[in-house]
Amino acid sequence: MEHTATYLGLIPLFPLIGAVVIGLLHMLTCKNNPLPEKLYGALACIGPLLSFFLAVVVFVHLKGMPAEQRFLVHNVFTWFAVGDLHIDMGFLADPLSSLMLLFVTFIGSLIHIYSIGYMAKDQNFGKFFSYMNLFLGSMLILVLGSGPVVMFVGWEGVGLCSYLLISFWSEDTNNVLAGNKAFIVNRIGDLGFVLGMSYLFWAIGAGGFDYLSLKANAPTISPAIGIAVCLLLFVGACGKSAQIPLYVWLPDAMAGPTPVSALIHAATMVTAGVYMVARFSFLYSEFPVAGSVVAWVGILTALLSAIFGMFQKDIKKILAYSTVSQLGYMFAGVGVAAYSAGIFHVFTHAFFKALLFLGAGSVIYALHHEQDIWKMGGLKEKLPTTYKTMLIGALALAGFPLFSGFFSKDEILFSALATGHTGIWMIGVFVAGMTAYYTFRMIFLVFHGKPRVQKTFDHAHEPPAVMTIPLIILAVGAALAGVLNLPGIFGGKLIVSHWLAPSLIEHHPHMGIGAEVLAMIASVVAVVIGIYIAFKKFGQGAEEPEFKGFAKFGYYKFYVDEIYNAVFVQPYKGFGSVISRFIEPNVTDSHVRFSSWLYRKAGTAFKVFQVGYVRVYAIYMVIGLSLMSLFLSQSIN
Amino acid sequence: MIQDYLILSVILFSLGILGVFSRRNVFAVFMSIELMLNAANLAFLAFSRLHESMDGHVLAMMVMAVAAAEAALALAVVILLHKHKGKLDTNVFSVLKG
Repeated sequence: MEHTATYLGLIPLFPLIGAVVIGLLHMLTCKNNPLPEKLYGALACIGPLLSFFLAVVVFVHLKGMPAEQRFLVHNVFTWFAVGDLHIDMGFLADPLSSLMLLFVTFIGSLIHIYSIGYMAKDQNFGKFFSYMNLFLGSMLILVLGSGPVVMFVGWEGVGLCSYLLISFWSEDTNNVLAGNKAFIVNRIGDLGFVLGMSYLFWAIGAGGFDYLSLKANAPTISPAIGIAVCLLLFVGACGKSAQIPLYVWLPDAMAGPTPVSALIHAATMVTAGVYMVARFSFLYSEFPVAGSVVAWVGILTALLSAIFGMFQKDIKKILAYSTVSQLGYMFAGVGVAAYSAGIFHVFTHAFFKALLFLGAGSVIYALHHEQDIWKMGGLKEKLPTTYKTMLIGALALAGFPLFSGFFSKDEILFSALATGHTGIWMIGVFVAGMTAYYTFRMIFLVFHGKPRVQKTFDHAHEPPAVMTIPLIILAVGAALAGVLNLPGIFGGKLIVSHWLAPSLIEHHPHMGIGAEVLAMIASVVAVVIGIYIAFKKFGQGAEEPEFKGFAKFGYYKFYVDEIYNAVFVQPYKGFGSVISRFIEPNVTDSHVRFSSWLYRKAGTAFKVFQVGYVRVYAIYMVIGLSLMSLFLSQSIN
Repeated sequence: MIQDYLILSVILFSLGILGVFSRRNVFAVFMSIELMLNAANLAFLAFSRLHESMDGHVLAMMVMAVAAAEAALALAVVILLHKHKGKLDTNVFSVLKG
C-alpha cells in the first residue's frame, strides 16, 4: 500500500494523455477521413474513468489511516529551485483534496459519457473531447497540487480550457467574444492570485512553499501582510469563481456547449476559488477581517445574481446566474470560517447543478437548440425522464428540506448566524427564497402548462440513453448527497465535516438546538414561499409578461456590462488609440528610426572605401600588413 | 654583405608592389606578383647563407613550386577573363557580379 502515493501523479496524467492522443488523432484525420465517433467517445472516457478509479483507491487508503496522519505526498520531480524558492512538481492527497478528487472525477466521467450523446454529429467531435480531457487533467492538477505554484499551473490550465470550450463553436463571433471576455476577466483575477502568492512567499515562503510548510509557518506572518495576501488571493478567487466585481464572464460563458457549462462552469472549475480559500484556511482563520470581506462579497454576489436570475429568458442564463448565486453562498460559508460547510456545498452543488445543466442540455437537444423558456412549456409529457431528474435537481437547488442542497446551504447559513454575521444570515435566507422562486419559475415554464410553440413541441423527443443515464445517476446524487453530512438534530454525525477536519482549521460554532431549529425553519419558510409564488405566477401556464420597469432592468443585469464597457473597456481602448496614434509614432518609434538612420548614414560614409578595384584593395592590404609589422617590431623591442 | 642582398630584395619587392598598385593590365600585375615572390626568394637565400643552414633553400624551392602552380592557374583565369569581357584591364572587373 505504500505505493498509493505514487498513484497521485497518475491521476492527472491519464486525462492529459487522453487529450494528447485524441488531439493528435483529430488533427491527423479530421481533413480527409474522420474517425468514428465511438472511437473518440471510448478514448475520451478511459482517462476520466481510470482517474476516478485511482481517486477511489486513494480515498480508501486515506480512510484506512489515522485521522491526523491523512496526508499522502508525492513529489514527482523538482520543478525549479532559485534561492529560497524551491518548487516541487508535487501532489498532495489529504481529506480535502481527496473529496474534491472523488466528485471531480466522478462527475467529469459522467459528463464525458453524456457528451457522447450531446455532441453527436458535431464536426469537431474529436477536438471537443481533447479539450475536455485537457480540462479534467488541469483540474486534477489544481486539486492535487502540493503547493500554490502547482495549483496555479492547474488554475491557468482550466482557464485555458474554459476559453477554448466557450468559443468552441467559433463560427459565431458572439461565442468567440464570450470566450475572450471570460479569459480577460480571469486574467484580472489571476493577477491578484500571482501577487498574493508572491507576497506569501516573501513573508513566509523561505521555510518551504507547499501547503504543509506554509501551514506550519502561518502563525509567524504579520497581520498587515497576512490580510493583504488573503485579499489578493480572494481577487483570484473572484475571477475564477465569478464573484463581484468579476462575475460578468460566467453568464456569457454559456455560449459554450451545454456539457461544458455543466462540467466547467457549474460543477468544477468555478468552485476552484472556494477550494483555494479552504486550502488556505490556515491563513484565513488567522485573519477574520479578511474572512468577513470574503463572506460579504459572497453573499452580496448571491443576492445580486439571484435578482438577475429571476428575470432571464434563456434557460442556461438562469442556471448560470444561479451558479454565481450558489458560489456566493459558498464564499459566505468559507468567509465565516465554516470551511467544511462551504466545501460541502461545493460537493452537493456539483451534483445538482451538473444535473440541472445536463437536464437543460436534454431540453435544448430535444427542442433543436431552442433556449428561450418562453417558447417552451408542457414538456413534462414529452421528456419524462428529463422532467423527473430536473425536478429533483431543482428541489435540491432550491434547498427544499431533505434534498442535498438543503443541508449544505443550511449549514452555511447557520454558521453565519452562529459566528455573529446576522446580516449575512438574513440576506442568505432571503436569497434562498429567491432561489426557490427562479428555479421553479424555470421548471414551471419549461415543463408545465401548455406548449407555447406547437411546432418545436411536436418534434421534441427524449434524448438517447447515453444522455439520460448520467441524468439519473446525478439525480440520485443530488437527492441523497445531503445524507453524508447530516447535522446532529437529524441524528447525523456531520461525516463530511469530520472527514475534512484534518485539512482545515475551523471551529465549529455552537448555539442551542432551539436556535438551530429556528434558523432552519426560517429558511424552509423562505423556500416554500418562493416556490408558492412561482407556482401562483407560472404554475398554470403564463404568457410572457410585458417587458418593462424593474423586470427590464433586471433582464439587462442592471446594465453592469454596459457600465463596465463605458468605465473600463472604452477608456482603455481610447488609451490604446492615443498610444498607437501619437505616442508610438512620435516617441517609441523615433528611437528605432534614429538607429536605422545612423546605420544608413554610416554606410554611406564607409561606402567610399569600397571602390571595387582589386589594386586598391591590395593597397589596403599592404597598409594593413605594414602597420601590423610596425606594431610587432615595436612590441618586440 | 648581407645588407646588399637584402637591399636588392627590398628594391625588387617594392617594384613589385608598385607594379601591382599602378598597372592595369592583368599580365603586368601578374608579373609584378612574380617579382615580389622572387624578391622574397632572394632574401631567403641570403639568410640561408648567413646562418649556414638549408632551411632557406628549401623554402625558396617551395616558393618556386607554388609560383609555378599559381602561374598555371592564373593564366587559365586570365584567359577566362579575356573570354568574358574581351579586355585585360583590371578596372573592368570592379564588380563581383558577372
